[in-house]
Amino acid sequence: MIDCDIHPQVADPEELISYIDPAQREWFRAQGPSLGLPGYSWVHPSSWFRQDIDQNGHPPASDVDTVRRELLDPSGTDAGVLNGDDAVLVSLMPSPYRAAELARAHNEWLRERWLDAEPRLRASILCPAQDPQAAAAEIRRVAGDERFVQVLLCGGADRPYGEPRYLPIFEAAAESGLPVAIHSGGEGMGIAAPPGGAGPVTFYIEWHTLGSACSTMSHLVSLLCHGTFERLPSLKVLLIEGGIAWLPGMLWRLDTNWRALRSEVPWLDRKPSEVAREHVRFSTQPLEHTDGRDETLFEMLEAAGAPDNLVFASDYPHWDFDDPGFMLNRLPDAWRAKVLHENAADLYGARLALPADA
Amino acid sequence: MPNWVDVGSVADIERDGRLVVRVNGREVGVVTDGKGVLRGIRNRCPHHGGPLCLGRVGERVGGDPGVYELTGRWTLRCPWHGWEFDLETGLCLDEPTLRTAVYPVRVEDGRVLLGA
Repeated sequence: MIDCDIHPQVADPEELISYIDPAQREWFRAQGPSLGLPGYSWVHPSSWFRQDIDQNGHPPASDVDTVRRELLDPSGTDAGVLNGDDAVLVSLMPSPYRAAELARAHNEWLRERWLDAEPRLRASILCPAQDPQAAAAEIRRVAGDERFVQVLLCGGADRPYGEPRYLPIFEAAAESGLPVAIHSGGEGMGIAAPPGGAGPVTFYIEWHTLGSACSTMSHLVSLLCHGTFERLPSLKVLLIEGGIAWLPGMLWRLDTNWRALRSEVPWLDRKPSEVAREHVRFSTQPLEHTDGRDETLFEMLEAAGAPDNLVFASDYPHWDFDDPGFMLNRLPDAWRAKVLHENAADLYGARLALPADA
Repeated sequence: MPNWVDVGSVADIERDGRLVVRVNGREVGVVTDGKGVLRGIRNRCPHHGGPLCLGRVGERVGGDPGVYELTGRWTLRCPWHGWEFDLETGLCLDEPTLRTAVYPVRVEDGRVLLGA
């Protein structure tokens, strides 16, 4: 089993600050526990995290032992990809300079505190997307360490990622043989546009329903329309935690519009849905809940490329995580091997190969 | 050899931009492409049956991402949903499973002859 979305937590801000350049430590320390990262307008009324995890007085999943004991060992996970949690919001900080430094520090923290400690773990490269040149430089700096298996961007952005100014990020990833993962989150925070397309929302429940899905759709449609995959034929994009039940409708709509509006994007010489099938992957969590109509959902998803475009993600240790065992039972028999293992193994290639003794 | 049918005068096309006539029970249009060549094409879009020949003639645009280039290929765009048909082949360029009939056209003494 390969888990494409595990969120390591920072036990103590000082732990991350120790990786920050001394000339910037005072600034980051002065920002308090957020380290200057933009935050939510709400606090989850019970908790952002699963409440059953033994925390030893720290946030859950803030040390390798806990992740081994709570997730990797019991689920039989062969490889798990660490995606920065709040830290992915570096891209939404007003200062691209602070963002670049925090991203760099977080990448080093992942390397030393997590990857060196557990051979089953892999990680995503954080980068300051608001400064694409700096982001590309950070990707190239870190990509040499093959335990980093992808680049991570957040769903929140001031414009969708197909915009040409973001191209250096995708070029650096493609050159390094890395997929780019876009993880929902951050919509409406810092310099990001509001979630949903109709202005700021009132409740966390609205944000959690709309933000993740809407930003994911926006980035997908933008990347397809701008011809990002025509420019970079080896590029793969993984969309994490944005849902997927909307995908068939969105692709059909895009294909239909393309037939009538192709002159706007004349570089698209085949149906966008075909390009999406080849280049875009989706994570399972949160696989939409269907009130017992899973068969209908799976049939719809097959029309949009599933199970070949689906990879498993637990979102551990968040409150809305998917238990690996539960997901194993929910998936159709014919999907299981592909979704739980094979598709992610294809996506990450040699970087996922585990040490012989693992 | 096609059966050449007189469908109107060149002056009609110059005045109206197109001719739409009924030939052998089917509506057929004659339009001028951007190079002044007359093209005959069935007046029915194979998508939803729209009056294809009332659409706009234009030169198809192509290019690499971020670049717009004229291709030299003249098309007719259905007035209903905007799907684009190659005037030479009748092929729907954006849905290659669809094609509409095209007809040879020649001009003799100011008259437009359609090969049906």
